[in-house]
Amino acid sequence: MEVFLIFISAVLVNNFVLSYFLGICPFIGVSGKIESATSMGFAVTFVLTLTAAITWLINHYILIAFRVQFLEYVSFIIVIASLVQFVEMFIRKTSKTLYDSLGIYLPLITTNCAILGLALFGALRNYSFIENIVFGIGAGIGFTIALVVMAGIREELDLADVPEPLKGAAITLIIAGLLAMAFMGFAGLISA
Amino acid sequence: MSDLNSTQKGVFVEFTKGFWKENPIFVMLLGMCPTLAVTTSAINGLTMGLAVVFVLTCSSLIISIVRNIIPKQVRIATFIVIVATFVTMVDLFLKAFLLDLSKALGPFIPLIVVNCIILGRAEAFASKNGVMRSLLDAVGVSLGFTVTLVILGGIREILGMGTFFGMVVLGERFEKWVVMLLPPGAFITLGLLLGAKNIIDRRLAEKRK
Amino acid sequence: MNIRLKMVLILTLFACISGGVLSLVYIVSSPLIEANVLKEQDRSIFLVVPEAKTYDEVEKEAVTYFNCKDESGRTVGIALPAKGNGYQGVIRLMVGLTPDLEKITGVAVLEQVETPGLGGRIAEKDFQDQFKGVITDPAVGWVKNQAPEKKTDIQAVTGATISSRSVVAIINRSIQEIKQVL
Repeated sequence: MEVFLIFISAVLVNNFVLSYFLGICPFIGVSGKIESATSMGFAVTFVLTLTAAITWLINHYILIAFRVQFLEYVSFIIVIASLVQFVEMFIRKTSKTLYDSLGIYLPLITTNCAILGLALFGALRNYSFIENIVFGIGAGIGFTIALVVMAGIREELDLADVPEPLKGAAITLIIAGLLAMAFMGFAGLISA
Repeated sequence: MSDLNSTQKGVFVEFTKGFWKENPIFVMLLGMCPTLAVTTSAINGLTMGLAVVFVLTCSSLIISIVRNIIPKQVRIATFIVIVATFVTMVDLFLKAFLLDLSKALGPFIPLIVVNCIILGRAEAFASKNGVMRSLLDAVGVSLGFTVTLVILGGIREILGMGTFFGMVVLGERFEKWVVMLLPPGAFITLGLLLGAKNIIDRRLAEKRK
Repeated sequence: MNIRLKMVLILTLFACISGGVLSLVYIVSSPLIEANVLKEQDRSIFLVVPEAKTYDEVEKEAVTYFNCKDESGRTVGIALPAKGNGYQGVIRLMVGLTPDLEKITGVAVLEQVETPGLGGRIAEKDFQDQFKGVITDPAVGWVKNQAPEKKTDIQAVTGATISSRSVVAIINRSIQEIKQVL
């Protein structure tokens, strides 16, 4: 039950992008087309889930065991950087089209605050191994939903009359604000 | 070594470009995550900004010094380790001396590690330029970031709580716009500020014609 | 030098330097950090159990609480750290109880991220003071838009029922836990 709550919370109630402000850079950069948004979303979900698993292991078997929690940030980011490197090589070998469509944004997943944010939150909230993984999957799905919804809206916007100064990032941010407002409606879905 | 005049001019440009022309938030669209998250008040924005100044400056310094001995393939990884080290220092410092601010900024201090501004500057500048220029670039861009954070934080604090840096600015009668302190307020304010900057830029460009 | 070897060496070198530097910084700063944590703990415990002069930390069957004593060493109250989900995030509390666990001596909200101006008002003194003297048997309750009639109830913050009732739920849950242990 607890696990289900963590999942729903990460997807809707405390959506990583719209509530926690994590993953904004790709959110603004890759949400132009639904197709690239979906690819990015899946790549990020994949990395998030693996990150959740590996950082949990590092946290419990190394950091806590040897009481060197102050090495948390350094160790986590090394894990994430290596993971993204591997994912990049993996995608390049298995699906050239996917690799091309993601382009520069693939290595940029390393600096996606959502990944490190997930690792840190998971450690902070003392989740179990399974809880951490579910948290990762939920966060990824939430991120993907936010990205795809935003892409859908922006594709429509391409045909609309946006005032000149607001074109581009400005209008995207304003729409994100309205989306965030909509997602606030999910708050209270899970209470004590 | 180029003549003194152009060096002086170069220094000035290098330092000030971070405030307007190459403002990390409005122009380069980097570092959005902490920008939106911590600007619920001016003092939070200021603290985050200064933390980034420290990390960016120290990291750029070290990276510029060692830029020639790091093999190309591992440069991003090495940069990140260097940045993460300085971020941990800032985090421990805040927890030891400024506990309330540390709590207010929460997870966004460690998230400086993946702040695209820092890696972006390291990759684009510090790894390719001398120490002095890298330092100027770092300080300028991070101060530009800080000023922007304080402005955004200030607007949200004034409209959302009626105070600025904790001092009451708008009286009791003012109906607080609480939404300013929540995610929608952050997104929309930043979007409108961006639009405003675009308008100003266009006017300036037209004047120059 | 072989490029692969160089890569590994440089990375390892930097990682070691990083670890070394951070260890130093940590050794210097950790006493200060621990002192800060202790200060906050002191502050909240003495707030919720006003008669306490000293306290011991006790851990019994996975429940951690603080046994508060006066100058003579007599137990004057129990301070219970508690946390749970509120409307927007985690709420952390310190609950003060009489030694027989029948009455609340005080509640302090340590951390909350509720809506500022609405749920955030659980952090205000007026809301927290309501809990003083509240009876815990059978459970703490809440009412809205009226003054509480029963000695077990408090009044929820207007317009912030969920945050208020989350606080009550967290308090009840932690009292249940400690009643099973003491």
